Amino acid sequence: MDVNDRRLRELYARWLDIATKAGFAISLGAFLLYVGGVLPAYLPVDELPRYWTLPVHRFIEVTGAPSGWAWLDELGYGDGLNLAAVALLGLVTPLCYARLLPALVAERDWLQAALAALQLAVLLAAASGVLAGAG
Amino acid sequence: MEIGLGVNAAPWWIWPIALFAVSFAIGIVAVLAGVGGGVLFVPIVGSLFPFHLDFVRGAGLMFALAGTLAAGPPLLRAGMASLRLVVPLALVGSIGSFAGALVGLALSTELLQISLGVLIIGIAILIWRSRSADSADVEADALGALLRLEGEFRDPAAGVTIDWRTRQTLLGLAAFGAIGFVGGIFGLGAGFANVPALNLLMAAPLKVAVGSSGLLISVINSSAAWVYIHRGALLPLVVVPSILGVMLGSRIGARLLGSTPAPVVRRLVIVVMLLAGLRALSRGLGWM
Repeated sequence: MDVNDRRLRELYARWLDIATKAGFAISLGAFLLYVGGVLPAYLPVDELPRYWTLPVHRFIEVTGAPSGWAWLDELGYGDGLNLAAVALLGLVTPLCYARLLPALVAERDWLQAALAALQLAVLLAAASGVLAGAG
Repeated sequence: MEIGLGVNAAPWWIWPIALFAVSFAIGIVAVLAGVGGGVLFVPIVGSLFPFHLDFVRGAGLMFALAGTLAAGPPLLRAGMASLRLVVPLALVGSIGSFAGALVGLALSTELLQISLGVLIIGIAILIWRSRSADSADVEADALGALLRLEGEFRDPAAGVTIDWRTRQTLLGLAAFGAIGFVGGIFGLGAGFANVPALNLLMAAPLKVAVGSSGLLISVINSSAAWVYIHRGALLPLVVVPSILGVMLGSRIGARLLGSTPAPVVRRLVIVVMLLAGLRALSRGLGWM
């Protein structure tokens, strides 16, 4: 049992390691492009202090900042690109579970496989934004 | 005047630099204490930085997620995080966390600040009063046996190998649903409660509880994070320096976990939490 567990742990760790490092590199690169002014900002950074004291619903009303999936239309802006980089971190765990699931099935560990499949469904439902009322 | 003109006299670039430094330090301490770091990040940044609590909670959730993602590989490879334990507990925790995040974004800031202050102070007292459980000679319950929630952990610091299994598994599952809900409301990783639930309630060895707590947070927060992303509650200028700082800090923390004296870290965490909790409470009550 422990040999199988160790193999699964190593598999999960490897995918987690690669995906997290990629997320870190992408976040760092996107942030430097944003604050360095290489890309235009949807909301200029020097204007942000005027608005970041507002609750989120007022912030969106006043600035017209995107919510739901609308940030996908703003990838040409530094702040939009950074949101995409952050969202990638939200996809690391679903990616690792998607890799873990067939490994659990191959081990014939049916109960853990069923739970992992349910977890993957919950994560994907959350990411889709349907349950959160994303537009 | 609702728009904060003139409120923030400091130039904007001070804040991301300060966030990076604070997040780096919290990242090291958080892994050593078995918490996601959100429990330190949200009250500290919510009290000392000018951002609205909505953005701080969104950043806190991403902060805890990023830190635990980064700490996961070394914890798994050292056998301190058990995937077998994480898979069922994370499932109920992530459903609770998702629901909590939806509720949290609908509550008023004052109520949230007061609740956060009370919660943080309560958690500090809980950590102060809790003791590690001895995981030897535990009889597995039926559900734990069915899920095969057991393992073997070699503790290099103590030079012993521990064969462990869980007890009170059903109660443990219910506890993780509730913990996930509270964590989702406040944008916390909820590791403060994961470790006692795993160690005291389910009898996992302390270091397995600490390591598995980190991995649990990485799964649970992945669902709640999307609520904040879709609601527009993530400001890149707040989130990105925080996650970069914590990812570097928690890597170092994960490497130090095997050899650091736990009581020192524990005392440090309690003091910081008490101070941050009192400040959040006083802000919520309008005393500052």
